[in-house]
This record gives sequence, structure tokens and C-alpha cells, in this order.
Amino acid sequence: MELKQILKRVDLFRGLNNAQIDQIASISQEENYDQGVVIFKQGSAGDKMYIVGAGQLEVQVRDSDGTTYAAIYLGEGQIVGEMALIDQGKRSASVMAVENGTTIYSIPNHEFTALCERDTAIGYIMMRNIAQDLSFKLRHRDFDPSGS
Amino acid sequence: MSMIYKVSYVVQGGEYPGGIKNQEEKPEVGTLVQIGLMMFEVMEVHDMMPPRDDFQFLHATVKPASHRKN
Repeated sequence: MELKQILKRVDLFRGLNNAQIDQIASISQEENYDQGVVIFKQGSAGDKMYIVGAGQLEVQVRDSDGTTYAAIYLGEGQIVGEMALIDQGKRSASVMAVENGTTIYSIPNHEFTALCERDTAIGYIMMRNIAQDLSFKLRHRDFDPSGS
Repeated sequence: MSMIYKVSYVVQGGEYPGGIKNQEEKPEVGTLVQIGLMMFEVMEVHDMMPPRDDFQFLHATVKPASHRKN
């Protein structure tokens, strides 16, 4: 599938028109990983955000006593690494490919920020969508299957 | 563009991490889904928030597929 069609199926880019999607595609880079390959490590500098095109990513967190655990799996259409884009902080988790043939699309922070500042309509939509994605992840984390 | 379902999968019991993925078909009770390297069976599906444009946002509670009784 063409990159532009893939991006249209990611809710991070919901609300962008074709020309704006083209601009996002122009700063996106395809990366392919096999099972177990670490894409970034917790505590490292965050200079890109990523979109899952195919396969799954495992998000691993190392807590204060040194225990590492899988926190969530992110599949097609999900974004990861966006927190560092927002707050310029270090990576809050490590991320690795779950299966062979995992395809992700990276967007460098400095190019993304420059695009949002150059075209503030894109900037508004993207920041709104990132906030909504973070909200979705919080609701996922806090969901109680018992309904209580 | 057809509807895209962004699904939050939560594993019953909480011992295994859940997942989030986009799907072209709405999950239903009994649907099998891969989370990580394991297969799970959907037990419940709820709307998480109102749909926006072509996206619908869902919660699904799942259990390991190997625990199926049938």
C-alpha cells in the first residue's frame, strides 16, 4: 500500500487534507525490523516518533527496582515516541519489534515541529490528534473490565 | 474510506499486557485476536468514545484463546 494511503488510515492524521498528508509523507521514513530488535531504549534521547505500519511493537518499562515488564502491545496504526516530541524528555519506555517484518514509519521531531510551525493548520490538527491519542491510551490503561 | 476501528484490548485478569491496534472489521464476541505473540478471544466490546470521521473507538475485553471451553 502506498505510504499516503497508510497514513490516511492512522487517526493521528485524521482531518488532514491530501496536500497536508503529502507533506507528512515527505518527512516520513520507512524502517523494517525483525523480531526482538530494539527500536529505542528507555532513558535515551527522543528524536523521532513512530507509526506502526505492519506488525506489532512491545513497549517495555523498567521500574524503579530494575524490573522490566511489557506494558502494552501497539499494532497497526498506532503511534509511539510522541511524548518525547511533546515534552523533549527522555524515552519513558523501551520499544522492540514483536515479529519479523515489522514496518514502522519514523518522523524526526525537528522536521515535524518545523512543519507544524510553518503550517499552523497542520500543527493544530496534529496536536489535537496527539492529545486524543494520549487520552485513548490513558483510557486503555485505566479500563476496569469489571465495570466498577 | 471505510470505517476503521481503533481497539483497546484489555486482558482479563490483568496479568498480560493488553494492546491497541487498528482493524478494518469491528471485533465481536468470540473473535480471535493476536496480542503480542499470544492469541486471545474477545469476550465483550464497548464503545470507548464517540466516533470521529472514519474512526470508531472501542474497548474489548479478552481472555486467552487456549482457555476456550468449546
